[in-house]
Amino acid sequence: MADSVAQKKKHKHNKNYWREAFSGYSLIAPFMLLLLIFSFYTFAYGFYQSFRSSQGLNPGDFIGLANYKEVLTSTAFWKAVKNTFVFTAGCLVTQIPVAFVLAVILNSLPLKRVQSALRAAFFLPVLINTVVIALLFRMLFNPDQGIVNWVLELLHLPNTYNFLMDSRLTMPLLIIVSFWQWTGFHMVYFVSQLQTIDPTLYESAKIDGAGRVKTLLRITVPMMRPALTFVVVTSAIGGLQLFDLVFMLFPNASYGPGGAGMTMIAHIYDQGFSSQFRLGYAAAVGWVVFFIIFIFSLIQLKAFGFGSNDE
Amino acid sequence: MSVRKKIAGTLLYRFGFRDAKLTVFEWLGIGFLCFIALIYLYPLIWMCDSSFRPMFEIFNVPPALFQKPIWQSVQSYSVSSYVSAFTTHNVGLAFFMSIFVTCAGIALTLLVCSLCAYGFVYMDFPGRKILFMVILGTMMLPMATMIAPAYRVISKLGLVNNPLGIILPYAMSAFGVFLLRQFYIRIPFSIVESARVDGAGHLKIWWNIILPLSRPALAALAIVQFRVIWNDFLMPMIVLRSEHFFTLPIRILLIDSINYNKPYDVIITAGFITALVPMIVFLIFQRHFIEGLTGGVKE
Repeated sequence: MADSVAQKKKHKHNKNYWREAFSGYSLIAPFMLLLLIFSFYTFAYGFYQSFRSSQGLNPGDFIGLANYKEVLTSTAFWKAVKNTFVFTAGCLVTQIPVAFVLAVILNSLPLKRVQSALRAAFFLPVLINTVVIALLFRMLFNPDQGIVNWVLELLHLPNTYNFLMDSRLTMPLLIIVSFWQWTGFHMVYFVSQLQTIDPTLYESAKIDGAGRVKTLLRITVPMMRPALTFVVVTSAIGGLQLFDLVFMLFPNASYGPGGAGMTMIAHIYDQGFSSQFRLGYAAAVGWVVFFIIFIFSLIQLKAFGFGSNDE
Repeated sequence: MSVRKKIAGTLLYRFGFRDAKLTVFEWLGIGFLCFIALIYLYPLIWMCDSSFRPMFEIFNVPPALFQKPIWQSVQSYSVSSYVSAFTTHNVGLAFFMSIFVTCAGIALTLLVCSLCAYGFVYMDFPGRKILFMVILGTMMLPMATMIAPAYRVISKLGLVNNPLGIILPYAMSAFGVFLLRQFYIRIPFSIVESARVDGAGHLKIWWNIILPLSRPALAALAIVQFRVIWNDFLMPMIVLRSEHFFTLPIRILLIDSINYNKPYDVIITAGFITALVPMIVFLIFQRHFIEGLTGGVKE
């Protein structure tokens, strides 16, 4: 990376240096101000709030670690954590392999226009508001008039599932809808990364007599490792923050039958905004969830060997 | 006959079938992929089809589209659910609010992020590297965990029930600063230096030279922000209180909360409008979309 400013290093005691530095600060000031207020101050305020019994606009009193104690001993919270991790794991194992295989197939298509048309087709769901997707699938999975049970009937499969009201089907349902929404996104990313692989690598593999499978495993997969890491880590972070889908998929913000689809962020919203407005408790949950996501991301990056070699 | 042949020939040529010599196996594979894509997109086709149908046809099994040949099936199309969406359910106002919030959010993001990136690339000041690392570090922060304090901070600023309360946080895009910086460091430094020698100020250089040169990067960032802001749900739901400020997703939530005689036709229509806008933008700016998606990480 060419560091353009380093080339013209000035002396710090020079009057011009400080004038220049001042205008530098004023250029980054608007962004830094927003970052200060809506990120750092928000996190700090959340920390302060998490020790108080804040409710709605009432700041409440200092209650020590009571909120944290309540979070860590709450069965509802740990159920939400479990749900969220089941959802995230389900998404990762379904979406990433399918997206990868689809990307390899699309990339090998000889017709470039068909390739880009298909790529656009699979990308479309990514553009759509999750609220709309959730309502759409709520209608498609409708037990009596939904198209899913109709298709099951056509295939002579049992078609009496009440998808939205069966708590055993809540997680699979969320994973299916999420699969529809995000697989195309990962695929497009993989395709654009596949196109950066040097074609001479494949040519020399061909000359050496390597078969298709061997080329895939020995060249494509290792070359795609950074892209795979990126997609796995970002989609895990996204999955752990699931809210919109589970909030809208089930009617009346019920988070599934008996709250079977309750997630970590949904728990925060439910406690902080939906009935009792317990903002202090919600802030404590927020900090616990933040740490869970943070530690999980670190473990993931470590597992992929991020930072150990030249990446 | 000959016209038909010509059209078929043009189509084949347009999609590149002419030059490619494919085996039967490859033809079957392409056909299969197209079939899968069609099934994959069926929910969208259903939504588009249903938005034009009367309520009693929406939940038909088999779907109304397949009950008759297509030219007979579309005869029951009408725009009545669009009319009731715009007249009784105020979807037009929500559409306007969504457009307003999105445009304002994108404009502010481009302004704030490009100024910031300019400062980091072309100027020297103590703490430059550390501050940039700090910005990068905030890129992956899960802000959704902090909705409780965020609500209090926004209310302390007096911005609850004010579109600014959601527009200002959108502009805080660390990804935007990163993307633009990656672009700016590839612009030859001599351009800026010679403008400095000619006596131009930094703001002038930023506005007259750097912004026009970085148009592709700005477009990519605008597209990324468009998708994020247009589809945002959680923060607008918390911050916006009065109905006349509701953006499209919040308006849809409001319509969906009607439990007696739920107007499914209006929900589908409003949903289709909400989905259509980003799809049109995508078809126009497809290249920028992919660039925005991948550009930031290529380095």
